[in-house]
Amino acid sequence: MAEVHVLGIRHHGPGSARSVAEALAVLRPDTVLVEGPPELDQVLPFVVDPEMQPPVAGLIYAVDQPRLASFYPMASFSPEWVAIRWALSVGAEVRAIDLPAANAFALRTENEAEEAVDAEPSSAGSPSSLPPSSDDGGGPADAGQSPAAGPGGSPAEPYRPDAIALLAEAAGYSDPERWWEDAVEHRNAGPLDRFAAVAEAIAEIRAVDERPATHPDVIENQRREAAMRRILRSVIREGRERIAVVCGAYHAPALMPEAFPPASADNRLLANLPKAKVAVTWVPWTSDRLSRRSGYGAGVTAPGWYEHLFAHWSAQDETVDVSTTWLVRVAHALRKEDFDASTASVVEANRMADALAAVRGRPSPGLAELDDAAQAVLCDGSPLPLELVYRELTVGPGLGNVPDSAPTVPLAADITAAHRKLRLKASAMEEIVAIDLRKPSQLARSVLLHRLSLLGVDWGTPQDTGRTTGTFKEAWALQWRPELAVAIVEASRYGTTIASAAAACVSDRAGKAADLAELSELLALCLLADLPEGISAVTGALAQRTAVQQDIPALLKTIAPLAQTCRYGNVRGVDVTDVRKILDATVVRASVGLPVACAGLDDDAALAMRRAIDSAQHGLSLLPELPLDDWHQALAAVARSDRLHGSVAGRATRLLLDAGLVERNDVAERLSRRLSVATPAPQAAAWLEGLLSGDAVLLIHDHHLLQIVDGWLAGVQDDAFDDVLPLLRRTFSAFSRAERREIGEQVSRAADITQAAEPTADLTAAGPALRTMARYLGWEVLA
Amino acid sequence: MTDAQDTATVLRAHAEDAYAEELEALAAVDDRPRPPSWKLSPWAVTTYVLGGTLPDGTSISPKYLGSARLVEIAVASLATDRALLLLGVPGTAKTWLSEHLAAAISGSSTLVVQGTAGTPEEALRYGWNYARLLADGPSRAALVAGPVMRAMEEGSLVRVEELTRIPSDVQDSLITILSEKNLPIPELNAEIQARKGFNVIATANNRDKGVNDLSSALRRRFNTVVLPLPDSLDQEVEIVATRVRSLGAALELPADLAALSEIRRVVTVMRELRAGVTEDRRATLKSPSATLSTAEAISVMTNGLSLAAHFGDGTVRANDVAASLVGAVIKDPVQDRVIWQEYLETVVRNRPEWKDLYRACRDLEVLN
Repeated sequence: MAEVHVLGIRHHGPGSARSVAEALAVLRPDTVLVEGPPELDQVLPFVVDPEMQPPVAGLIYAVDQPRLASFYPMASFSPEWVAIRWALSVGAEVRAIDLPAANAFALRTENEAEEAVDAEPSSAGSPSSLPPSSDDGGGPADAGQSPAAGPGGSPAEPYRPDAIALLAEAAGYSDPERWWEDAVEHRNAGPLDRFAAVAEAIAEIRAVDERPATHPDVIENQRREAAMRRILRSVIREGRERIAVVCGAYHAPALMPEAFPPASADNRLLANLPKAKVAVTWVPWTSDRLSRRSGYGAGVTAPGWYEHLFAHWSAQDETVDVSTTWLVRVAHALRKEDFDASTASVVEANRMADALAAVRGRPSPGLAELDDAAQAVLCDGSPLPLELVYRELTVGPGLGNVPDSAPTVPLAADITAAHRKLRLKASAMEEIVAIDLRKPSQLARSVLLHRLSLLGVDWGTPQDTGRTTGTFKEAWALQWRPELAVAIVEASRYGTTIASAAAACVSDRAGKAADLAELSELLALCLLADLPEGISAVTGALAQRTAVQQDIPALLKTIAPLAQTCRYGNVRGVDVTDVRKILDATVVRASVGLPVACAGLDDDAALAMRRAIDSAQHGLSLLPELPLDDWHQALAAVARSDRLHGSVAGRATRLLLDAGLVERNDVAERLSRRLSVATPAPQAAAWLEGLLSGDAVLLIHDHHLLQIVDGWLAGVQDDAFDDVLPLLRRTFSAFSRAERREIGEQVSRAADITQAAEPTADLTAAGPALRTMARYLGWEVLA
Repeated sequence: MTDAQDTATVLRAHAEDAYAEELEALAAVDDRPRPPSWKLSPWAVTTYVLGGTLPDGTSISPKYLGSARLVEIAVASLATDRALLLLGVPGTAKTWLSEHLAAAISGSSTLVVQGTAGTPEEALRYGWNYARLLADGPSRAALVAGPVMRAMEEGSLVRVEELTRIPSDVQDSLITILSEKNLPIPELNAEIQARKGFNVIATANNRDKGVNDLSSALRRRFNTVVLPLPDSLDQEVEIVATRVRSLGAALELPADLAALSEIRRVVTVMRELRAGVTEDRRATLKSPSATLSTAEAISVMTNGLSLAAHFGDGTVRANDVAASLVGAVIKDPVQDRVIWQEYLETVVRNRPEWKDLYRACRDLEVLN
């Protein structure tokens, strides 16, 4: 009869990992079974690959629905990781035991379908729920410590009794984590006794579980344990002599062969389960994701601290004290943040932590004691400095690495190759990268990041470039998150290379786009992501949409992206003939519709219309060669009418004034008419706002216009002035303080302005200066 | 100390006298290891401060209602022979905690240096009996030991109150005492070496302006514990009620603190003005210049208790607390008055069950 040892562990518990290592060294089993779906078997050998760096996660996803995915994270201090490595290094067989993910996914889809019938169709349990929520569901997040709900994700569902918490409570601990550390992980008994004691205690806990057998969580757990037993039975049948099972402590009592239910009962549970087609791979994981703060159910509070503990235990160096080395690291991190943390203080903090552990009756200082000691001694009692170093130390900046030979989708391989070629390194910490688009290699980076974000792989997020108006700079915040691996798998249905996938993704989105605005945004993105095929797909869709579009503001808003494409597409070697045709047609359509569309607008609609006109004007100004007669006629019609909303009419006047198509005297006349007493005050203000809004530069540099406003204001009668004042204030308060002061100074020099407005310069005297200037510009001086 | 007064007749008994029975009971059951010269083990000290029930059934009253973690840190740092610095805004029980720690650890809380702007170096070191100095020349007999020196000789705790009010040059004379645990007496070519168990508990206020910040050399020799203001309304009400009851008993006031409602109201006013937001977090308020700590709420209530006992019917009502409440809030006669009136009109007035308090405060306004 085979000898089966069940090692019940806490997932990501360094103490458990150490105990597992010790137990394996004593037992020397020929077969090691590790909790996890059997699909993982095929990728387990990668664990000993020299390029494999934890933390990593096994990723299993449904092939035809990649969003349905589960992660199995492992850190260097995870007992599973330790067990797998041990087995592979001594040549023992290692297998994963659990309910196959193929069944688990199919069951999850079924449950969701049922829920969708019961509840609203758009409930949180829809298959498109984000990957992080599936961390809790299928991950090894189930040893009874996970407060998160099961795969359904509905938090109201009562969870199975938290076995560890009950044990901790019985021992008088408020925090189950600390109980496990004190009672199990810090205990120096023999490893096998420790596991036997834990299994016994858990068996007691399981005996008091009073939930009905129909509870979904009970059913799920029964299925999983039945599946584990089935594999265990077949391994025993194969004639293995010594078997070690490494599983969550909660399952330990169920896997003792002497307590097995009949095989037929288990087979009945597992009969006729639905199946999905799944694929499996390894992906890099981050320490941050291991920490409980990130919402990972079986996460630990302090991965960085656990890694430190485990490294210390593995080194087995009696001369080094674990709290001393930790406090030295804290001191180093504090010094990096410019805090004084002298060596003498570290010594004191170390003594303090020991004393604190004694006062609290703990066998040795834990993270709580070390934090308190560091706060009291190194940080003058303030909690802020420690928070600064919290992420770096307690969580850890770790990002794992996966060997290239691990199975993966072609798109992921292409992305990795692109990273390498462009020397962009994935990091778990957020870093800001500034890109100078004038350099080809950096431009390629920008293109890659834009393409990835088109594909929904949000590795980088665009940042504000700061105080620059130049268009050659981009700033990106780069942070690798494990769920991006799922996004890549999901995007891989579009194609096998980044360029082809992004182009296909754009065509797909263009076909489904809800409105013109989305299409024009896509167009702009295509330009940034350098996707000529994408542009032709989008312009095709745009041509159809603009032809039937009735909504003038939407049409106006497409002008700017189209014009940008025409202007910069040429630069990037894109054929823009088609785009140009659409642009011309759009301008004509918008111009024809504009005067009518401006009639009868309320304040909000007028504001939207004004913005649309501004955006269109901005786009048109990019292409000076474009014939603008229709556009200007439309604007003139809008400006002329006294019945249209002031905001729009004022704006039209301003644009015409800028284009030099309206006489100043006309503007003055309109201004005073629009601002006269008979016009209701809000309308007057709206007109002035439309005329002046945006930049004060017009008023500052166009003395004539300033004179008009000044003259009008001086002429306003006293009783009307009180009504006008707040409205004017609204317009002027949008200008910056410096601009307002400049305007004020100019008005106070009004008399000089009249003089200076007429150019009276002596051209003969300016001759030498002009000539020099011309030489700088490379012009030939004729006379 | 020398003249043993009856505890019953003194206005305020020392902690070790007032809680002598509890300390005795703790010492009787305490079988854990004690650091040298400590009267109790660290566990027993923590229990004494935080309260609890002993195995023999004696109930220990809590002295400090707040985070157990902070008390553990404080006790642990005294056990490592590192000096302890208690920081906090006025009225966060710094002195109270230091007195009880000294009473529990050394059995005496009477070795105190009160820090002021005029504290001389002699207070921290030693002085001379000038008659003997002139008559016999420098000798040990002519030396007058200060509290710190006495504590070094006895191996007990000494408290330094308001450390940051002491001038910087005087503060720094603590450095040698804290790091080398000895006190040189150059006049006699001798030194005092501290006995085991000697340690310093200092308190300092981190809100006051015009204080002398600690030099980094001195600061490095302290473990710092920041005492916070109470987190929740209920906790603060409990603190005020406990303290007012024991003060009322000490002052032998016949008044009755029938319900907690009056305390709750005063504490609510204090908390709201302190935080600049109402308890329901619906409205923001201006904060007056006064600190409005728990200690202030305690004194307002004690005052009210005394008014009710001597001039009222023995039950504390809105009228009794209004005067001292207004006095506690308005420290700056111009700005604080505006803030208080705003609070009165926008918050107090809109709470129907606070009608009596509103009227009482309004009546005071009229008198002013």
